Amino acid sequence: MTISTTDIREKEQLISGSEAIAIACAMADVDVITAYPIRPYDTVMQFVSKLIADGTLSCEYIIAESEHSQFEIVKHASAVGARVFTGSSGVGWFYAFEALAVTCGLRLPMVAMVGNRALDDPGAFGTEHNDALAVRDLGWMLRWVDTAEEAMDAAFMAWRVAEDPRIYLPCAISTDGAFLTHSQQIVQMPSQEQVDEFLPPYDRGDFVLHPDNPITIAPQVNEDWLIEIRRQTDAAMRRARDVIIEAQDDMNRIFNREEEDPFIEEYMTEDADVVLVGMGTLSLPLKVTVRRLREQGKKVGFVRVKWFRPFPAPELQVALSKFKAIGIIDRDYSLGAPQNGGVLYTEIRSALYDVTPRPPMIGFICGLGGREVTVDSSTEMFDKTFEVAETGHAEEPLLWIGVRS
Amino acid sequence: MTSKNPEYDFKWCPGCGDFGVRRALETAISRRTVEMEVAPENNVIIAGIGCSGNMVHLLEGDQPYGFHGIHGRSLPIAMGAKMGNPDLNVVVVAGDGDFLGIGLEHISPQAARNLNITAIVMDNGVYGLTKGQSSPTTDLGAVTSSTPYGKTEDKLHPFKMYLSLGVSFVSSTMSSQVRQMSTIMSEAMDHPGFSIVHIQSPCTEYNNTFELLKGNVRKGIPGLAYDIPEDHDDADWDAAFDIASNDGIPLGVLYRDTTRPTLDQRIDEVSEKVKAKSVASLLDSYAI
Repeated sequence: MTISTTDIREKEQLISGSEAIAIACAMADVDVITAYPIRPYDTVMQFVSKLIADGTLSCEYIIAESEHSQFEIVKHASAVGARVFTGSSGVGWFYAFEALAVTCGLRLPMVAMVGNRALDDPGAFGTEHNDALAVRDLGWMLRWVDTAEEAMDAAFMAWRVAEDPRIYLPCAISTDGAFLTHSQQIVQMPSQEQVDEFLPPYDRGDFVLHPDNPITIAPQVNEDWLIEIRRQTDAAMRRARDVIIEAQDDMNRIFNREEEDPFIEEYMTEDADVVLVGMGTLSLPLKVTVRRLREQGKKVGFVRVKWFRPFPAPELQVALSKFKAIGIIDRDYSLGAPQNGGVLYTEIRSALYDVTPRPPMIGFICGLGGREVTVDSSTEMFDKTFEVAETGHAEEPLLWIGVRS
Repeated sequence: MTSKNPEYDFKWCPGCGDFGVRRALETAISRRTVEMEVAPENNVIIAGIGCSGNMVHLLEGDQPYGFHGIHGRSLPIAMGAKMGNPDLNVVVVAGDGDFLGIGLEHISPQAARNLNITAIVMDNGVYGLTKGQSSPTTDLGAVTSSTPYGKTEDKLHPFKMYLSLGVSFVSSTMSSQVRQMSTIMSEAMDHPGFSIVHIQSPCTEYNNTFELLKGNVRKGIPGLAYDIPEDHDDADWDAAFDIASNDGIPLGVLYRDTTRPTLDQRIDEVSEKVKAKSVASLLDSYAI
């Protein structure tokens, strides 16, 4: 594999999403990185190796014998006070599921990259979001990004929020396989000084596992304490909203970024009649489609959900209630769910239950297995959403788009 | 079974050792069809994940059943197939990362059970499909895409491990020796018990060991591979372990134990001892 030569001191870089996150590891001075090859996540492994070989990154870099061990190693490195990074894709992420589940309960601020990939079988390497979404109930903070620059910023943000003593929860950054892990884009790089100002060192305080601080991690608690611990984890996730807002303000100021809202991105929604809502890199064809339809006089817009956990219910309630109809695009599936809808559709439907006026909505499932979401398929989804706006309700609440008959 | 499936997009690189393994496997299965009148569909090829996994796709016409499973779990899948229908000839195809890395934990229990299947391990000393990360059989100190300063773990010695775990048929060959591979595969499939055919199958992209194995007189490279002496007694475990402990890559059958019962024979034996109990007799056992 050819790896581009990157001098991370350059102000402007042409790099992929995976490379951006590997560079973020170097600038964040990560202590322990573990890896196990599975594509598309494995691209980040090569970039980490290269940064180590170049002398840019100094860390413990451990190639585990499986994903299960990979996640266990960083979990415990985090317990002794090390800043950590790891990641996986698709079924590799699932093989680590036991470690993924317990990391939240132990309140360990692991940061992971999920190179989103379909869950085999049948075998497929392309993007689906079901891998990362599978941990949505457990206490993982989940972020979806759509550019290499956002991937880099999200990584710094992830360590900052996850390692905040008010939070101590793991955070996964979802990068769409191939579309973002392998595609290069221009990234405006922060300086090391800016990163250092934004990201303080990880301090585990009284919870650090150390011979001078004899504590037990993960004792058996059974019915005596487990519900209290779950409640504490829930409280931490609730606090994460404010910590994210605080951190985003700092990032905007220190990095000179112009993120208006940390949780969602609104694109040409000001006077829109209908909008589509989605996550990840499908924003690119959606934004192109919005521009083309606006040239035809159609008032359309796009809303991108950036944080899935904590879920931006307040922001979406405000943003979406003003439209005549909304269409939710899922690059995932939740078979047997209410309305047979995808995960994002179901969550937004729940979030809007108390909103007045509640906009009529329709769900779309498309782009599974990495199938491209095109301008044509985006236009089809806008057309269907306009029909919902006219009638006030969806004849069929959920449609699969771009499926061969 | 001799030409590629036109509907399948080829996934091996030019010169990959797995082409030779595939040809040998086709020959071994064809031989069973002709000589033993085993219908092709009574063979099952089970693969995990990796370049080796493409083996299940590359046959056309009358062919064995294929099952492309999950990473490292080819042996449990094979156990399910074999125990479900012991008449099937079940063959696992796996790479060193799949079989000796993520799937290592399954070798010991199947050796202890003497599960009557054949595992064909294509060892290229690297994770090839994901572009060249170090694997358990990568040399200590080797620089790979995941070990920029050289691999820090010792290299695994598969033969010593197979023998130590009690695998009842242990053999070694290399992908350029198609005739030998095919013969050993046939013997392994005929063996009553857990048989492993471990094949040096160089990766031309990330770890091309062909010259090291074969040797090159002009360059003064002696070659690591050598034929196991004809007078080797493959029933002698100590002699097999001596071979496994030597430098170089032995070619041939190291060890063969045909005296141990297979798992299906053991299950049959246990089943005969099982006596059904009535509900009344079970309840009586709790009577005070």
